[in-house]
Amino acid sequence: MELADRAVGFLLTFTSLSIFTYYTFWVIILPFVDSDNFIHNYFLPQEYAILIPVCAGVVLLSLLCIFIGLVLLKSKKKKA
Amino acid sequence: MKHVLKLLSLLVVISALWIGLLQASIIPQSHTWLLPIYFIVSLGCYGLLMVGVGLMRFPTCPEEALLLQQDIAEAKDFLKQKGVDVGSD
Repeated sequence: MELADRAVGFLLTFTSLSIFTYYTFWVIILPFVDSDNFIHNYFLPQEYAILIPVCAGVVLLSLLCIFIGLVLLKSKKKKA
Repeated sequence: MKHVLKLLSLLVVISALWIGLLQASIIPQSHTWLLPIYFIVSLGCYGLLMVGVGLMRFPTCPEEALLLQQDIAEAKDFLKQKGVDVGSD
């Protein structure tokens, strides 16, 4: 149904925009703010700004490799 | 092969710009170290945004769907007359 499609699309856009604004704030704006401002309570410490994307990238790459490996194994089993 | 070369040259230009920015110290150094990761994350975000926007604006063409169903029924009748069993219902 097109309503479900539209809902999924809206969810995706909302997630991507929120991730983008949060990350922009975290990396670019926050280092210029004084360290005793209240806004720092809403953001994790800066090391996580590097750790989380790197971990997510590693997980994505490993999932991709596992998927490719499974497909290759399945095709080999079918041929034999 | 040529597309890969284009992408590689773009990557080389961007990394040269980044190293130049590191050396020139216009922006504080800790900021410059974070820039590549920031660009990768924003690129992923942009891809997700395009997928979401495309999903939201996907056209469904209801009139064409109806005409297609009529065409399918007509083709099934025709084949059944000629003796071929299409048999999905």
